Amino acid sequence: MLTRMMLAVAGLMTLMAAAGVSALAQTTESTVPSTLPPIRIVGAERVSPIAVAQLKNLAGDNDHRVSSVFTATLLRDLKLSGYFRVIDPHAYVEDSQSSGYDVGQFNFADWSSINAEFLVKGAVKRGAKVSLEVMLFDVGQQRRMMGRKYVGSPHEVGEMARRFADALMESVTGTRGPFATKLAFVSTRGGRFKEVYTSWLDGGSLFRVTDNPTINLFPSFNKAADRLLYLSYKTMSPALYLVNLDRGVETRIEPPLGMAVGGALTPDGRIVGAFSSAGQTNLYLLDQSGGEMKALTDEKAINVSPAPCLGGDSFAFGSDRSGTPQIYVMDTDGGAARRVTYKGDYNTAPAFSPDCKKIAYEGRIEGVFQIFVSNADGSGARQLTQEGSNEGPVWSPDGRYIAFSSRRGGSSRIYMMLAADGKITGPLTEGDGNDTNPAWSWWIGG
Amino acid sequence: MIRTQLGRGGLVVKAGGWRVAAATAIVIAALALAGCAWKKGGGAGAGEGQQGQGGLGQEGVGGSSLAQFQKTGSLGAGGPLGDIHFDYNDYTVRQQDGDILKTNADWLQKNAATRVQIEGHCDERGSEEYNIALGAKRAQAAKDYLQTLGISADRLSTISYGKELPLCTDHTEDCWQQNRRDHFVVTQ
Repeated sequence: MLTRMMLAVAGLMTLMAAAGVSALAQTTESTVPSTLPPIRIVGAERVSPIAVAQLKNLAGDNDHRVSSVFTATLLRDLKLSGYFRVIDPHAYVEDSQSSGYDVGQFNFADWSSINAEFLVKGAVKRGAKVSLEVMLFDVGQQRRMMGRKYVGSPHEVGEMARRFADALMESVTGTRGPFATKLAFVSTRGGRFKEVYTSWLDGGSLFRVTDNPTINLFPSFNKAADRLLYLSYKTMSPALYLVNLDRGVETRIEPPLGMAVGGALTPDGRIVGAFSSAGQTNLYLLDQSGGEMKALTDEKAINVSPAPCLGGDSFAFGSDRSGTPQIYVMDTDGGAARRVTYKGDYNTAPAFSPDCKKIAYEGRIEGVFQIFVSNADGSGARQLTQEGSNEGPVWSPDGRYIAFSSRRGGSSRIYMMLAADGKITGPLTEGDGNDTNPAWSWWIGG
Repeated sequence: MIRTQLGRGGLVVKAGGWRVAAATAIVIAALALAGCAWKKGGGAGAGEGQQGQGGLGQEGVGGSSLAQFQKTGSLGAGGPLGDIHFDYNDYTVRQQDGDILKTNADWLQKNAATRVQIEGHCDERGSEEYNIALGAKRAQAAKDYLQTLGISADRLSTISYGKELPLCTDHTEDCWQQNRRDHFVVTQ
């Protein structure tokens, strides 16, 4: 019997209000008690047909608005996962309003007849708060695999769907899904200036962080996803800015180290910044107010693109100290840098997997940049992308996906792919302009 | 340290933790032009913010490539000083560009009260961050060269725009060569 109360962090309420980053502040999530069947591992190489029924209206959702938001968000996320083929709701034969939503209250044959392997059903009560109870069924075995109850505000229904998608993926594949997470990226949508945006991974709640007609680049989250670092030319010269997403306040990070070139947040919110002085760009560890803690590199060379690993005390970065841009790893406490890449004459923009065991990076091959993944020591490098020019890889918190920017469709978009085989599971952004510099947060709320 | 607080219709500048009333008033005025930056997004895929016209905390630097890009969306050469160009992923001043730097140095000798910002620029290949660092090397290379020609370092500042402000947007070597440049802006 599992009963988990999650996410009653009151402080995140202000975050929602200030920065549009909803975090289920008052919402509870709990499991529906059941005897769980053994976990079935479904490989991404096999795409499973799944049906998502409209939620049964128990009270207050006569216009099915809550149900529609929940199912549309869940279907979007399931499609993006790459593990499921969503059966067209027009093919459904069951009336979800007149039937029940737990074993014994509906007819599995209604779902096996349309070849559903998995089925999501549930119910909604809507008043000042929204209460959802949602179940995942194995149609073939006619069993409930898992269930969740959610209580929260009406505007949090989308987040409930993302959490359910993550739980559903854990039930089916054994690994929690990556959808209750945030994407940050740079976009020229709506004009010619690069601005920083955040959204849910699936595109919901798009929020514009910067609004200045200059150049804004390199968004980076801390692990709690309540801070965002970025580089901006908003004062006409480049500087790092650290946004407190809870309070909607930002701090200019301006240590006397030269011109800011880039940077990233460590999991605990410190800053690894790249600063250029007399033409040399080196990396420094800074505290949250920009105070220098340590010079990490001291080379007459370029040292850029620091990428801390979430589960450890090291970071990857790009340097031309060998003559060409290559990937290196070093400890956040300092010490010697270890070279990771040797093949190719231009490898940069590294990203550590959450378990710190793998590194994704962009490498130039035949004049075009492609995404590669290698082990942290550089062994086992594999090219994951082939089509168009692909840059700026970042990992999902579950380590199963990589997001990156690609010009394969003409203008640049953020795409998501499976890290195991490079299978594209979908574009994450759409619209006019070019989208670049993705950052992928840890799960919102942990 | 300067803190800027972005809120509903207001932007508060804090210096050392204390509000600076005058700066606050100025920046609030700027923000009124820009619209509210912290506009909460709407539902899925909705909630795109407004295109700002004023922006936050800008301090105009006359004639820089960024200022030109802000005003017109395109860049041109211009000014009394000539651009120099670089090889791919390189920051060495080329022999044939020595004459341009000599001409620039002569102008600076004749106009002794002037100061110059040297802008380093790159072509579109490679990551944005690496190119900002490469542009910094290119700007520094020209600064070092002008110093050897007798120009005082305190008249020469540097900035890198990386690959963010290309002169030419075709994906050809001819275009890339135009973009791999140092541009010299007289700032006073």
